Amino acid sequence: MRKKSRAAAGILAICGMFLGAQTAYAQVEPGGWTSYSPGYNVQLKGCGQTNGLTFTLSCSSTSGEQRAERRFDTYTGGTRQFEGSFKITSMGGTRISLKQTFRESPSAGPYFIMAAERGGRLYSVEGGATIASGATVGTSVRVNTVNQVGNTHRTYINGSLKNTVSSPSGSYYDKFGAYRTNSGNGPITVTWSGIQFWRK
Amino acid sequence: MRTRILLLVVSLAVGGCSASAEPGVSLTAELVTPVDVELRWTGSDPAAAGQIVEFATEPQGAYTILQFVPPGQTTYQHPDLMPETTFYYRVRPFYGAASAPLDVTLPPGDYSEKDQENDHEWAPPKVVPGAAAEKQPSRTAVPTDFAAKVMHANGIRFTWTDHANDEEGYLLEVEPQGGTEFTQAMVMEPDVNSVGLITLPEEKSATYRVRPFRYGPASSVPHQLTGRAP
Repeated sequence: MRKKSRAAAGILAICGMFLGAQTAYAQVEPGGWTSYSPGYNVQLKGCGQTNGLTFTLSCSSTSGEQRAERRFDTYTGGTRQFEGSFKITSMGGTRISLKQTFRESPSAGPYFIMAAERGGRLYSVEGGATIASGATVGTSVRVNTVNQVGNTHRTYINGSLKNTVSSPSGSYYDKFGAYRTNSGNGPITVTWSGIQFWRK
Repeated sequence: MRTRILLLVVSLAVGGCSASAEPGVSLTAELVTPVDVELRWTGSDPAAAGQIVEFATEPQGAYTILQFVPPGQTTYQHPDLMPETTFYYRVRPFYGAASAPLDVTLPPGDYSEKDQENDHEWAPPKVVPGAAAEKQPSRTAVPTDFAAKVMHANGIRFTWTDHANDEEGYLLEVEPQGGTEFTQAMVMEPDVNSVGLITLPEEKSATYRVRPFRYGPASSVPHQLTGRAP
């Protein structure tokens, strides 16, 4: 019995060695990426609240700044990749920004905004293009954004390319959470997970 | 002799790493262009309420649901993928007894600013205390007392009695008028018995139902490495 246990433990250990090696070689988009952990601060305004990676706008106000977001460090040049998954557990409102790539210079302003509409059943980007419709509320949605500064900014939803815009030279930063856009309102509760950053 | 035994153990171990025990569904993934994958599978359980198609970019997950699909569906296209990335796929059935269907017709009108200013306190999924109900496995635990209350021209609150004792969650399903099948509008936590839905424009008249669900065993897990972007 003891021998069987040892043999099983040995097999599991060997499995772990091989599976661990596969994980280490997992790729996201073309290679050459280096994982890093940018610093961030939490921005809370109006009825915005956070609890870890859960972000809530508790009010339905259609005016004022309603925000619960993580704002990451600014970068200049190069190529940066953001990965994360969000799950909307409840959304009575519409047009709430979930992920922003914000341009800081030479002219500051929201450069790319991915928003949820109609109770979390539609996802759109700034300019109005719908990138997912008929979404199932309560399931996780994976987002990868690749900002190749001076070239293009690409957005993948659940692994598929959904949006490409040009990316002028300058400084940028990532934000995610929940933020009322000019034409939107809460309430919403969204939970993010699996946050990773790469650069090259 | 010792070398042979060691090789045998390593061979058995490595062979056993990638396969779950006797998967019911056999899944294949074909790279039909450098960035498009086509999935095909056999062995689906006709008794399932439906199936989920999932993907990951690492062999141990985390897996993300791509779509809920009907029990009879055996193919799925995953298009325009991240280039030079390894994609892993699996299919899992889910089981659970659905409530009786309920037809709901909403008043005309878009999702107005007035409606949006509604505090939507009724919308978050909730467990509302009620009379004690007899519990049973989710495969036979038909939700009862399924009811809908129109809250505004694009919002409905649903309530029901939960009879399941082993569910992994609840599904709210919708079939717009003129549609051919139910699709999943919302996934909720176990024991939930009240939730609000903001409707899509095509759901002014639609049929709804809820079901507790449990996932069945995962299929085999094929993978494909995508090529360069076109």
